[in-house]
Amino acid sequence: MHALKQVFVPGAPEPSDPSEVAPAVEAPPQPSPAEMEAAPPLLAAAPGARLLRALRANALSMVLWAVSIALLIAVWYLGTKYKVEAYIRFTNIPTPAEVLQRLVEVNQSPRFMTHIGISVRRILIGFGIATVIAVPLGLLIGRYKPMRDLLLPVCEVLRPIPAIAWVPMSIMLWPNNEASIVFITFLGSFFPILLNTIHGVHSIDSVLIRAAQCLGAKEPALLWHVVLPGAMPHIFTGLAVGMGVAWVSLIAAEMISGQFGVGYFTWEAYSLVNYAEIVLGMITIGVLGLVCSGVIRAASRGAMPWLAYSSTGKR
Amino acid sequence: MSAAVQGRISIRDAGVVFDAEGGAVEAVRKVSMDVEPGQFVSIIGPSGCGKSTLLNMVAGFVQPSMGEVRVDGAAIKGPGSDRGVVFQQYSLFPWLTVRKNVEFGLKMRGVPASNREPAARTLLGLAGLLAFANHYPDQLSGGMKQRVGIVRALATNPQVLLMDEPFGALDSQTRVVMQEILTNMWQQFRISVLFVTHDIEEAIFLSDKIYVMTARPGRIKAEIMVPLSRPRTPEMTSSLPFMDMVQRLKALIREESLAAMGSELKDGGLTGFSVEVGREGVESML
Repeated sequence: MHALKQVFVPGAPEPSDPSEVAPAVEAPPQPSPAEMEAAPPLLAAAPGARLLRALRANALSMVLWAVSIALLIAVWYLGTKYKVEAYIRFTNIPTPAEVLQRLVEVNQSPRFMTHIGISVRRILIGFGIATVIAVPLGLLIGRYKPMRDLLLPVCEVLRPIPAIAWVPMSIMLWPNNEASIVFITFLGSFFPILLNTIHGVHSIDSVLIRAAQCLGAKEPALLWHVVLPGAMPHIFTGLAVGMGVAWVSLIAAEMISGQFGVGYFTWEAYSLVNYAEIVLGMITIGVLGLVCSGVIRAASRGAMPWLAYSSTGKR
Repeated sequence: MSAAVQGRISIRDAGVVFDAEGGAVEAVRKVSMDVEPGQFVSIIGPSGCGKSTLLNMVAGFVQPSMGEVRVDGAAIKGPGSDRGVVFQQYSLFPWLTVRKNVEFGLKMRGVPASNREPAARTLLGLAGLLAFANHYPDQLSGGMKQRVGIVRALATNPQVLLMDEPFGALDSQTRVVMQEILTNMWQQFRISVLFVTHDIEEAIFLSDKIYVMTARPGRIKAEIMVPLSRPRTPEMTSSLPFMDMVQRLKALIREESLAAMGSELKDGGLTGFSVEVGREGVESML
């Protein structure tokens, strides 16, 4: 921090007032990567100790997380072990061990993995198309009033219809089953992404737009360099919500009209009275959803490194 | 950078009327003023007197309802990089590093990255922020942010620099230091500056010429040349001519503040209040 004094305005009189140094000292709450690199050896030795400290600080949290998961499994285990029947019935519910065993069996053939692969592919295509359409559309609707007047009424009419309600229509509309399921997935994620993008555009501080105009930004550049990054935090919120709804819609569509996919796998298990596979299907859906939202969180961190320092834009 | 032959701002009989709820509001009436190339000119006046509106006209955000505003003879059509603007609110792009913020204007102009970076580094060095080139704005203090804002506005080499209470959000100690930094930077760039403030000492310390505005609708009440020599130093603020000017300007603005408060208070029925507020009360409101 003493380095601050050396970078003072050349030619400027040395400030008689120490205040200019003071705000600088309070400024970076965490050492930046740049500062870490430039840090003297004293600090360089710290990472190991820091990791240890972080571990210790989080130790309680980690224990509680483990306890939380263990509790769920314990309830499940005890319920199924003693075949509890107290209004809710554990009689037909498979034990954790049965499900685990089923998981091993199921992986002996490629069938299970194929189901997962097909579901993931539907998500990637449906969600991908939704992102590619909804984000630019949201930017245009958010930025230009004629676009808003033209497109928002359609969106407002279609938005309240849940994606699942589109299943019969979708089957009629599209030439094959696969396309109609992807369409349902697309619909599920489209509106959350669109609406959050529009909201993101509206939330941009107008002084940033004006500043960009004063720096010579014309309309297309403004959209790309200011409106898009400015709306980015909200866009990622939309992506996270959209991903969740995409999975809900996909599983429902697969259960109703599918031939493949994890939703179909779960529903088929129910039809065939294969209880262990029902639970396995459910857990698989949960894990896939978790992985997908994790990917989006990681992507948002990568795409918006500045939010790590923002006091308002915390994820 | 450039010899000060460009950067003449001339405002002729400009008026601005806003449409507001409950009828039109006249913000500025028949204002004429000039900023000569390389001159540092401040506008001061009571709050709400339309001084920011004047600056926004030059920036191109507000169209004059009558009269004309010209920079180097050309009427203003909209915002553009020939006029750098520093805002009161922090206006750095939070998603860009300090250096990328400074490069933004050059990027918009199509300057290749290899030329942008050295230019940005030079400017950041001048502002004493080279060590923070790769920081994000949210990692900086208020004073540092405004310094980045100033060099970002200077990066496109504009003919004039428009500053709208740029230090208004800073604490008073930081303000004083920022004023010194600004006057030193100006000494190097010799660019025309139009500076809006409500701080009398700030206006005197920085300016060659000060326009005092009346209460709304804003008109020019006085045009005053600052007799202090260049370069300005902090010691000057305790000199006799400086103190004299402070008193003179305070008196001018007090009249306007009282007038502004008087017209407001009449509606509220609190006649006599404006007298009792006295010297301290009004000045604390400036």
